[in-house]
Amino acid sequence: MVHVLGINLPDGHVVKFALTKIYGVGPHIANRLCARLQVHDKCKVKDLSPFQVTSLASFLSSPTTSPPLPRLPLASPDFTPPPSTISTQELQARFNEQLKQRTIKSTDPLRNLKIESELRREIRENIAHQRMIGSYVGRRHAMHLPVRGQNTQNNAKTARKLNRLERN
Amino acid sequence: MSLLTVVSRAGPSVRRNLLGQAMTESVRWKSDDAQVSQPGYITKRKGKDVQTKRRKPFPQFRPLGAGQLKDEVYQVVQAPKLPEFHKTVAKSDNLVGQPVEWNPTETDPLRIFGLPKNLLLEFRLLSKPYSVIRQVTKDALETLNKAGISPSSNDRWVLTGKPGSGKSFLLLQTVEHAIQNGWAVIYIPRGVDLVNSTTNYAYDIRTQIYVQSTFSFQTLQRMSTVNKAIFENITLQKEIVLEKQTIPAGTNLVQAIEVAIQERKKSGSVASSPAILDAVMRALDTQTDVPVLLAVDQFQALYGKTSYRDQHFVPIHSFHLSMPRLIMEYASGKRSFARGAVIGAISAAQSTNPLPIELRDALELDKLDTRVITEYDKRNKTMIGYTQGLKKFDVPEKLTLEEAIGVFEIWKGVKAFGGDNTFYDETFLGKYTESGGNPREFVWNGLLSNFAP
Repeated sequence: MVHVLGINLPDGHVVKFALTKIYGVGPHIANRLCARLQVHDKCKVKDLSPFQVTSLASFLSSPTTSPPLPRLPLASPDFTPPPSTISTQELQARFNEQLKQRTIKSTDPLRNLKIESELRREIRENIAHQRMIGSYVGRRHAMHLPVRGQNTQNNAKTARKLNRLERN
Repeated sequence: MSLLTVVSRAGPSVRRNLLGQAMTESVRWKSDDAQVSQPGYITKRKGKDVQTKRRKPFPQFRPLGAGQLKDEVYQVVQAPKLPEFHKTVAKSDNLVGQPVEWNPTETDPLRIFGLPKNLLLEFRLLSKPYSVIRQVTKDALETLNKAGISPSSNDRWVLTGKPGSGKSFLLLQTVEHAIQNGWAVIYIPRGVDLVNSTTNYAYDIRTQIYVQSTFSFQTLQRMSTVNKAIFENITLQKEIVLEKQTIPAGTNLVQAIEVAIQERKKSGSVASSPAILDAVMRALDTQTDVPVLLAVDQFQALYGKTSYRDQHFVPIHSFHLSMPRLIMEYASGKRSFARGAVIGAISAAQSTNPLPIELRDALELDKLDTRVITEYDKRNKTMIGYTQGLKKFDVPEKLTLEEAIGVFEIWKGVKAFGGDNTFYDETFLGKYTESGGNPREFVWNGLLSNFAP
């Protein structure tokens, strides 16, 4: 069992689908998260490395403050790897030096990701704003009725159950 | 809630407990006279006389003992006795149409490396691997024998042909022939598995590509099992520097691969497998004792789009993945075995991995692919570079009459169709004509879909 931000991800589940258990993460965001962590499509939660789990948890705890992702250099057909006398740490250090000299413009859509309590707060604030300005949408939320122009002669049971000012 | 409301409600009645809290409880209203109906019982009421009648119980069906199963369906089918493949092809007389069998050993490539799905299904139905020697088999084996003395850069073939013409079978025959004649064999039966995001991948800063550690480990393990005797006599030319240890030059390939196996056993990590695989392949490049065959089925998947994505969600090209890049380097002649060949077989069965434009251009397969492709369609220059020098080896679309008889004899021998009253010659000619000689159509839509008694 892997716990991420207090959410339990069962071991036998495929990571791509298990991530959708997080409030605010759907199939598309889960796909992007897997790509960010270099997790393949059929990977199960038990096959995640500790590094991947900690990366996931640290990213989701604060997506806006995560470091921008660098564009990794890819080998040309004639590329020859450097000799083994140069260690991997040294290669990583050289790469980090090159990164510092460049300014990375982050176009990562996951940076603005909101999940769990932040997302719930945003939804509550949006509904409260609608009520505060006295809009039709706000009034409908307050009356527990459908907001988007649905019929109320019949049905509308879901709206009567779920639509309210203090939602979630 | 008033008492009247409680009494008149149709649903569960509300009762209050000692604390005055409402409890909903479903109450079944029963009269004293009525008998509650239960399954298996019929209840009749005549005034106050109640008659019950028991239903007849269903008969219990018990399975028969093994000794009582005397119907023909339960009889064990004796597998047909056919000559073995490698002994048959060693003969020089005319063998076209001869059905043969394989008796795979514990370290046979078709056991260890696996099989493409269609072949696996067919061998499961047949309960044993059978095959037929075709004219194209003889041509292919002759080409392979000649390729064994020259570098693999001179012999890079792709088996092409219409769907169901027998490319995968022919590739398997060449692999089995190679292993029986002392070649070192590396066989990848499902090329799609390299690019469909089913194995792990991680960026390596040294090689600047995405390494597939698990697949590399599996390939090393299988190569070591199948080619153990050959690998014990080949040594590493250069040392392999890993993170935690160094494998010195002069170590034989079995011991080098054992390092990866032990690392996985102890720590579960396969991080060093790509480096060890690369070193093993370089050792095979330079040795001249034994020819090496690199055989890949579903070859077109390596040249198409992959399902892998990088951190920015951009699709990764196949030449930036370690395993496809390794195979494509040998296929394009950038790397070469001192003695050996590279043979691939394209497959039309994977709709998610169709024939890519670059491969189609290189092999001149316009007639095979019905898509209209013009000069204005985008082609990847790097991919074109990896298709240089590939030669096509056409597999005939039709079985000849002798070859079809051989296939017919195999399926008839395992009693997959027909019976005592079947006119086999009529069935054969009918199905052969209906299928037009296409092997897959002949077997699957012809013989196995046959309802004739």
